[in-house]
Amino acid sequence: MSAVSRIPSPIMGVAGLALVIFIWHLVTTGGMVSKAFLSSPADTLSALQRGIASGELVGQTRATVLRMINGWLLASLVAIALGSLIGISQTARDFLRPTLAFLRSLPASAVIPVAISLVGLGPSMVLGVVVFGSVWPTLLATVQGFATVEQRLRDVAQVLHLSKAAFIWKIGLPNAVPDIVAGMRLSLTVALILSVIGEMLSGQEGLGTAILLAARAFRAPELYAGIALLGLIGLVSSYGLLMAERRIVRWR
Amino acid sequence: MPDSKTAFSFEGVHLELGGRPILQDINFAVKRGEFACVIGASGCGKTTLLRLLAGLVKPTSGSVRLGDQTVTAPSREVAVVFQDYSRALLPWRTATGNVSLALEAIGVPPAERADRIAPLLAKVGLTDHAEKYPSQLSGGMQQRLQIARSLAQDPSVLLMDEPFGALDAMTRQSLQDEVLRIASERHATVLFVTHDLEEALYLGDRVIALYSNPGRVARMVDIPLPRPRDQLATREHPEFLRLRRELFTVMEEIHA
Repeated sequence: MSAVSRIPSPIMGVAGLALVIFIWHLVTTGGMVSKAFLSSPADTLSALQRGIASGELVGQTRATVLRMINGWLLASLVAIALGSLIGISQTARDFLRPTLAFLRSLPASAVIPVAISLVGLGPSMVLGVVVFGSVWPTLLATVQGFATVEQRLRDVAQVLHLSKAAFIWKIGLPNAVPDIVAGMRLSLTVALILSVIGEMLSGQEGLGTAILLAARAFRAPELYAGIALLGLIGLVSSYGLLMAERRIVRWR
Repeated sequence: MPDSKTAFSFEGVHLELGGRPILQDINFAVKRGEFACVIGASGCGKTTLLRLLAGLVKPTSGSVRLGDQTVTAPSREVAVVFQDYSRALLPWRTATGNVSLALEAIGVPPAERADRIAPLLAKVGLTDHAEKYPSQLSGGMQQRLQIARSLAQDPSVLLMDEPFGALDAMTRQSLQDEVLRIASERHATVLFVTHDLEEALYLGDRVIALYSNPGRVARMVDIPLPRPRDQLATREHPEFLRLRRELFTVMEEIHA
C-alpha cells in the first residue's frame, strides 16, 4: 500500500525550498564561507542563466538526461523480462534470490573498474554501468510481484487452462505492476547517480563532467548551477513517475 | 455404475497428502443435470473433493471420471466458483475484463467478446456495474461476477466451493435462487460444497454428508422436494423439515 504515497501540498514544499535558499543566501553573503567554495544563490542563478543562454548547460543537461533515461529504460526492460522469467517459477526464485540480493547490494560504482577494463572509457561503458546498477531494484520488485500472486489466482489460471505466457501477461505482470513501478522509481535515482559518476570518470559530455571541471577550476557558481540542475532532474523525474504510478494503479 | 447419463463419478478414490489420509474410499456418481450438495465439518475434505474433480489435485488411488474420461488435469468443461471471491478476481480488471479472462482463455476472438460478456453480466444483475473494478463492488456483487466468469467458460459441470459462506443472509438467499435459476436454465450439473445443512437441502437434488479424518461418505440422501424451490414454501415443506431433522443427527455425529 505504501507504494502509492500521498502527494503533499506543493505550497509546503515550495516554502521549504525557499527557506533553504534563504539560509544559503545568508551563509554566503555573510561571508562565513569563501566564495570559491560556495557561491551565493544569486551568483549561481546568473551562472545558470549564462550557461543556458550559451547553450552549454542545455547540451550537458540533455546528455546526462539521455544517458540516465536510456540506461534506465534498458535496465527496466531487462529487469521486467528477467524478473518475469525468474518470478514465474518458485524454484528459480528460491535458487536465484540470494544471488540477486548479493549482486544488488554491490555498490554499482565498484563495477566501474571492471567495466573500464572490459569496454574501455567510452560512452558504452557508462551506459553499461548505469544499466547494471539500476537493474536491481526493478528486477527484485518484479520477482517479488510475481511471488505475491494469490494462490487462488493460480488456481483460477489452472482451471482456465491459461498458458505460461498468458499467465505472465494477464496475471503475473499486472499483479507485479505496483511493485515494478515502485522499483523503477528507485532505479531512476540510481541511474542518475551512476550517469553522473560515469561521466566524471570517463570525461563524457554531461553535467557530471561539467561540475567536476568547474570544481577543479574553482568556478563555484558553475559548480552549483550544475548541482542545482541535477537536483531538478531528480525532482522532476521522480515526481513525474509518482504521477504515472498513481494513474497506472488506479484500480486500487 | 457410470453410464452415459453420468456427468462425473468418484470411483474408489483415496487421497493422502503428506502421508495423512484426507479422503478415503469415495464412491459416488452424479447424473447430468443433477444438483449435488456436499456437506461436512470444516477440514473434512469436502473442498479437496471439489479440487479432485477440478483436476487441481490427483487422487493417490482410484479414479475421478468426467463423463467417460479420467480427470488428470483441469478441463474447460468444468468451471469453479471459489469461496474467496476477492482473491479469485483480478483486481486490476473491471467486471467486464474479469469475465473476458475466461473468454480469452477459451480463445474467443476479441470482436466477439463484448457480445458474450453483456448477457452474462445481465444474467447476474451486474449490467450497471460492468466498468467497475472488484474493489468498487460489494461482496455479493463480486461473487456474482465470479459466477458470470465461470459461466463464460460455458461449462457442463459447475463446482462451487462454499460460494456464499462469506455473505450476509439476505444476499445469500438471493444468490441461492440465482444459482438455482442458472443451473436449471443451462441444465448444468452442479457440485456444491457447503457447511450449511439448510442451504444444502434447499439447493440440492441430493445431499452427500462426509465424515472427517479421513473424509468418507457418511450418508447420501435424495431430496425429492418440488422445483422451482421457494425460500418460504420449500423451507416450510414437511419433507424439508423431516430431512432437516434426519440429517441434523447425522451432522451431530459428523461433528462429534
